[in-house]
Amino acid sequence: MVMTLYHGEPTGPSLTALAALFESGLEAELRPIDLAMAERHASGIPLNLEAQYSVEGEGPVLVVDGEALCDSLFIGCYLDDAAPGSGLRPSDPYRRWEMMAWCRWIIERLAPGVAALANLAWTTPRLATLGDAAFARMIAPIEAQDLRERWAATRAGVLSDEHRAASVARIHEATAKVEDRLAGRDWLMGDFSLADLESYAWIAPMRDLLPEAFASKPRLAVWLERVAGRPSVQRALAQARTPEPAHGFAPGPEINRWG
Amino acid sequence: MSDIMLYHWEPNANSGKPMLTLVEKGVPFDSHYIDLLAFDQHKPDYLAINPMGTIPAMVHGGRLLNESTAIMEYVEEAFDGPALMPPDPVDRWRVRWWMKFFDQWLGPSLSMLGWNVGIGPKVRERDPEELKAAIDRIPLPERRIAWRKAIYGLFSEEELAESGRRIRIGIDMVEKVLGERPWLACGSYSLADINAFNSAYFLPISQGEHCNDARTPNIMRWLRAVYARPAVKATWAMGRTAMADRIRIFEGEEVADRW
Repeated sequence: MVMTLYHGEPTGPSLTALAALFESGLEAELRPIDLAMAERHASGIPLNLEAQYSVEGEGPVLVVDGEALCDSLFIGCYLDDAAPGSGLRPSDPYRRWEMMAWCRWIIERLAPGVAALANLAWTTPRLATLGDAAFARMIAPIEAQDLRERWAATRAGVLSDEHRAASVARIHEATAKVEDRLAGRDWLMGDFSLADLESYAWIAPMRDLLPEAFASKPRLAVWLERVAGRPSVQRALAQARTPEPAHGFAPGPEINRWG
Repeated sequence: MSDIMLYHWEPNANSGKPMLTLVEKGVPFDSHYIDLLAFDQHKPDYLAINPMGTIPAMVHGGRLLNESTAIMEYVEEAFDGPALMPPDPVDRWRVRWWMKFFDQWLGPSLSMLGWNVGIGPKVRERDPEELKAAIDRIPLPERRIAWRKAIYGLFSEEELAESGRRIRIGIDMVEKVLGERPWLACGSYSLADINAFNSAYFLPISQGEHCNDARTPNIMRWLRAVYARPAVKATWAMGRTAMADRIRIFEGEEVADRW
């Protein structure tokens, strides 16, 4: 098994993939790419249909014997399947259901809101420096039309009032959910799991944008430190190549079209 | 009497996923039919079981499970019976990816059109005051928005056109991969086929122009292969409305797209 992990800055989905890889103990070559400059589509990565239509948007890609695996939660499940006993998922089926149901909320409900606000704050200014022709060339290789449209909206700095308000509300909901969940426990599922990585990766970067969502939540504050202190997360954070790695987002999952 | 209770609506979309999974595994369960069109899922009796007010839900040994795809993985892991997940970790990743693709990208587009032409008009026949009260009782805010849109036909032309575009792309993607392998995610029948069939079985009727023997021979072959399974016939026999009759097209019957 030969693995290469193409990853962005250690934040959002790239942080989950990196830390999950280090938790698994499996070996992979690490290839840092600038996701916000669409390098996912210009680095010779053998993108298959699945990676082109990744629901996560511009996330990391783990190439396993030539096949491109995407979507950080499922990359994490893959690593756990490939390295049984890694502790990334609980072994009891009910606990495992609980973890997947929790993570589903994070990736479907929270992640689109975080991606929208993070990109507007940190990616829009970077893309605004590109001329029209250069930007058009950059996104031309992107297969999925709805993803190309999210890129264009990000460059233009477009986020409706309704989506902005919904995104802010999601982040408040997420920090409250974590605070409640941690009553009497150190990790979200009792023992450490992928749920801690996936949740941390999307929640932690919001400290810079929405500090009020983190106020008066002592268990959340201690948990953020606890997750950051894990050797796997430390090693993931050490892959940073920019002064503000937490801000290294790229167009992500879309805001649910049904509301 | 079983220690498994499944609360479900018609064998269709989300409800059909755990129904067919349990039947394929040969796991007996007590079936509780929840009438979606009568808003049974938001009534106090049901909210006492599943506070989210979503269908399906399962109770096993006194513990609640919701989120249909997460329930499918639970059923696969918690019970004996024929394996519905492939042994290879990359194949397992592909199963999860395709379920996600149907759940979050293709499925919402299919259901938007279905609700617009089917469920919405059907429900609108009811007393307006009763409808308003029914919407107000929905616990999850995102479901309240979805129901309001469906009931009052608030989908814009643009949203409906985008759903139509995605459905056509989704059909082409599924046709392509089914031209490369016998089943949706890998070489064997899996949870991905169960998930996808529940949203795709009526495509030859609702999208007959795009999904037919001449244009999508591989999808048609796959739909017939899934339909040939005894578990599918047993599951669809649990349906109570004309929706479930749509499956008779695989018996060679002419079937209108009915609700």
